[in-house]
Amino acid sequence: MTPGRRWGAPLLFLLPAALLFVAFLAIPICYALYLSFRGMRMAGGGPFGVRQETWVGLDNYVAAFTDPELLAGLGRLAIYGAIAVPLTLGLALTFALLLDLPRVRGSRFSRTAIFIPYAVPGVVATLLWGFLYLPSTSPAGWILERVGLGSIDVLHGPMIFPSVANIAIWGGVGFNMIILYTSLRGIPVDVYEAARLDGASEWDIAYRIKIPLVAPALTLTGLFALIGTLQVYGEPTTLRPMTSAISQTWVPLMMIYRDAFTRDNLSLAAASSVVLALGTLVVSVILLRVTQKRSFGES
Amino acid sequence: MMRRTVSVMATLSAVALALTACSSGSGSGGADPGDGGPITLDYWAWGTAQQPMVDAWNAAHPDIQVKRTDAGGGTDSSAKLVTATRAGNAPDVAIVEYNTLPAMIVAGVAGDISEHAEGLEDEFAPGVWSQVTFDGATYGVPQDAGPQALTYNQAKLDELGIEVPTTWEEFAVAAEKVHEADPDTYLTTFAPAEFGGFAGYAQQAGAEWWSVDGDTWTVDIDDAASVAVADYWQDLIDRDLVLAEPMLTPEWNAKVNQGEVLSWPAGLWAAGVLYGVAEESAGDWAMAPLPQWEEGDPAVGFQGGSAVVVTTSTEHPEAAAEFARWMGTADEASAAQIEQGQYPASLAGQELTLASDPPLLMPQQEDYWETAAEITRATIPEISWGPNVNVASSAFQDAMSTAVTNGTPLRDALTETEAEVVDDMETTGFEVTQK
Repeated sequence: MTPGRRWGAPLLFLLPAALLFVAFLAIPICYALYLSFRGMRMAGGGPFGVRQETWVGLDNYVAAFTDPELLAGLGRLAIYGAIAVPLTLGLALTFALLLDLPRVRGSRFSRTAIFIPYAVPGVVATLLWGFLYLPSTSPAGWILERVGLGSIDVLHGPMIFPSVANIAIWGGVGFNMIILYTSLRGIPVDVYEAARLDGASEWDIAYRIKIPLVAPALTLTGLFALIGTLQVYGEPTTLRPMTSAISQTWVPLMMIYRDAFTRDNLSLAAASSVVLALGTLVVSVILLRVTQKRSFGES
Repeated sequence: MMRRTVSVMATLSAVALALTACSSGSGSGGADPGDGGPITLDYWAWGTAQQPMVDAWNAAHPDIQVKRTDAGGGTDSSAKLVTATRAGNAPDVAIVEYNTLPAMIVAGVAGDISEHAEGLEDEFAPGVWSQVTFDGATYGVPQDAGPQALTYNQAKLDELGIEVPTTWEEFAVAAEKVHEADPDTYLTTFAPAEFGGFAGYAQQAGAEWWSVDGDTWTVDIDDAASVAVADYWQDLIDRDLVLAEPMLTPEWNAKVNQGEVLSWPAGLWAAGVLYGVAEESAGDWAMAPLPQWEEGDPAVGFQGGSAVVVTTSTEHPEAAAEFARWMGTADEASAAQIEQGQYPASLAGQELTLASDPPLLMPQQEDYWETAAEITRATIPEISWGPNVNVASSAFQDAMSTAVTNGTPLRDALTETEAEVVDDMETTGFEVTQK
């Protein structure tokens, strides 16, 4: 065989993926980078002169970095993440461990029940929760009112963070649970038998065997949860019309959307997107570095 | 949770738009008039009144056929128009809200139709006409108008023995009485995100947020009149006499249905919106002129309303302008509009309403259209919107919401809004002075 023929088949098989990658990832990323150095500026004079796209250098990056709202948005994101990520992972792990106990009853039903919220589209879930949050449409509000406790408004003040996080947790636990549960099922049972012979309780088994062995899966779900947090957009955007507590710049992605489509400033949105993407990359790499040694046993 | 890669979000949308654009062929196309076939115009418009109007036009004009696309409501449609214009495939004709029209001119979407606008000015009241003329040029044909009025729950106010307020001072007293009678009930809502509503109240008080002198824009969003309006609402909020919450939420709708929100000072279209929210209470409601800052002064501002513009991308500017003129002035067009509950912008169209039934929300109010005509005659003649109302509106919404949430002064929110607007205009390269 000539070298050319040896490479022909693999290249052919690579082609669809490569084409899709170039068309839908590489080109848009390059275009975003290009756009982030451009801007709409007045061409002619006059109060109603037409704006045209020109080269503006680093103006957009300067604007993105000097806007206090982007930083404030990241701050709100951090609060949201501090609530959503540990609770999602903690609940998912708890459920997975409970379902993995020997002699557990109704495990198939529970597994499906916990997983189903993940199948509900985010916007639908947010609308459902929104109706549950608003005092006059909420059954909880109705009961509290009847009991004489008055209504609790969970869409105002600092309560907005747990309210938004709750929706993501509700939708995300099932997915993470399935990953962890699958990983648990992959552990050979003789490990448990040996432990039991040595007198280990179910608690010991969970704490000393199961959790360390599913650490790679935990790292993976943790990474997903972290990236998911940085990309929060749907829930707060859908809740926004119902409360004054969520601004148009509540989280960075909402700000990017506002700049691109409400304010017709695609270039600034592109610059902020690049900044956010680089930030996500850095955070992900750090997380992987920190956890790599422990969870994958690599040095 | 969003699972798409962040970095490509904005650009993916742009590429997607471009791809759709390619696949839909020539946007401003249609047959070449040279071959004798009929011209086809693409028309972007939202709202229930549009299709019947377009159908009426198509029946009467076999040579110029119009194809209507619903590209979303005011904000969405304008955002798409800008993108489509840059991609070179905008429709020939489109509806644009008055307050976004300057932004559409600066973005190169709306074309100058002065040469096709002969005699058009006489068809409209000066206040309406000023919404489509800038710097001596005409950029659209007014189609519907939204002068502000007070839509109120007459049954409830009668029950409480409260007369319809004619001044804002009386309005505050009425708000007090309503709240005294039942602490869960409010005379009205101050929704912090209602940019258009506040702008209307401020215009009524004499505010001029943008003005042009030569090549220079003057921006004054925190002028004395606007600050006075902000302080007025501030006082009502501080005393818990108005509901300071977003409107048209499930929460708000429930309150309107339960008779806990009794009025809405807004554009004339409020009757239609409220009917959609509280159909069962139709017959309880009525419309009156907006309360005044000074007794006896009938002036009111606008909230909403739109014009038909001819885009710069069209290949048939003459046919497009003819269609736009017809949509804004023909009796058949106005009749279709009125049937769907829109208030026509043209004087002839407004004349036509007098023979029509009152809106579904207030079937008992025989003088509805007479009152509407009276209000419209008193609209402020000169209102000018700036080239970046989109920025003003989004800055206003966030600043006001924060002020209401944190209990900081509303007047400061106006100053913040102005700072963002001026900053944006300076970055873009306009000559701006700030007052």
